[in-house]
Amino acid sequence: MSASSLRVSAKRAAPRVMAMIQRGMATEKQIYNQMISTKNIQKITSSMKMVAAAKLKGDETRLKLAKPFNTWTTALREEPKLCEDATFEELPQKCLIVPFTSETGLCGGVNSFISKSTKRCVKALIDDGKDCNIVVVGEKGRSQMRRPLGEKILTSASGVQYPGSFALASSLSTEVIKEFKEGDFDALVFIYNHYLNPATYQQMYQVVSMPKNSSEGNFLVGYECDGEWDETVDSMYEYMLASQMFYCYMDAGASEQSSRMAAMENATKNAGEMIDSL
Amino acid sequence: MTLNFSLPHETIYAGAEVSQVIIPGEAGEYGVTVNHVPIISQLQPGVLQIIHEDGGGETEKYFVAGGYALTHENSVTDVTCPEAVKLDDIDPDAVSKNYDTAKTAHASAELGSLAQAEAQIEMETNKAMGAAIGLTLA
Repeated sequence: MSASSLRVSAKRAAPRVMAMIQRGMATEKQIYNQMISTKNIQKITSSMKMVAAAKLKGDETRLKLAKPFNTWTTALREEPKLCEDATFEELPQKCLIVPFTSETGLCGGVNSFISKSTKRCVKALIDDGKDCNIVVVGEKGRSQMRRPLGEKILTSASGVQYPGSFALASSLSTEVIKEFKEGDFDALVFIYNHYLNPATYQQMYQVVSMPKNSSEGNFLVGYECDGEWDETVDSMYEYMLASQMFYCYMDAGASEQSSRMAAMENATKNAGEMIDSL
Repeated sequence: MTLNFSLPHETIYAGAEVSQVIIPGEAGEYGVTVNHVPIISQLQPGVLQIIHEDGGGETEKYFVAGGYALTHENSVTDVTCPEAVKLDDIDPDAVSKNYDTAKTAHASAELGSLAQAEAQIEMETNKAMGAAIGLTLA
């Protein structure tokens, strides 16, 4: 038995020795093939970059229009704040967190930054003895946060069609409001990427408290109403939520495109360097 | 007074100085001029009139299907709607057709169902749109 096993190991050793000799210097054909495939990858990333740049133009315009559409709500909610270095200590007892992420990948760091900020927010709330749940917007966020924060996620909205519209924001907000009322939360926390310019975006969080009854709405003291106060305010808050989600979605969308553009630019450059070195 | 009038896809007025705005609220139309008491109103389908300041005082009319109007203390009024259209841009034939389709849908829908409610909203909106351009729909 030992003799046959020796023969088998000798047989196995032989091709290994042959392969080592072959692996020494790459043949010209192999270099050529590698150059071709890298060039193809470069073409793909370069075209992805141009598509992202074109989409970004559209997104920037939409965002510019969404902003004034949302300014009327500033009287009814807090200012958005930076996630970086935030302590989240001002958040109320029970929060529903809504992070905005993208559907597809290859977009640089947008989604991981949001996941990180969301994790930090959840941790800060739990450390403070508060409670929270999450409604994720975007497939990437869902898959990234599924494991670390799985039990906190109530539902997620994936397969969201690009580009967003107000109708989309309305249906998203209907879902969110349903979860909000069912869970009896105190406030909503939107976490999204705020678009600054084609090269920069920041993570922001936005707290929206919904007054439990109209007398609590401290933003609304002093206003008359020509209809039923409770009904009007209730509906108005829902509309405001849709408006706010619309704005966050547009902002996040523009950030995503700019990040994708940068990521593809880098990939194209790297591919170029690889080709040059071959 | 200052008017901010915006839609999700278009900012019609931002910080515009106007003389008066007539808003189709729940309790009927009301006019807002400078120093009006702060008020929140849910818009009904109807005509929003903007009267400009300059000598001629020309009136711009928009049909709005819904939305909110908030008048603040500093004589700033925010009007926000998902959709608004200038009266001149409304096609009377399209309005009658939509009204008739909605009416049939309303009649054939189950009593108290979501479909019936939606058809009713379509009917009311189209009827108001018709009334705005002088078309009487029954």
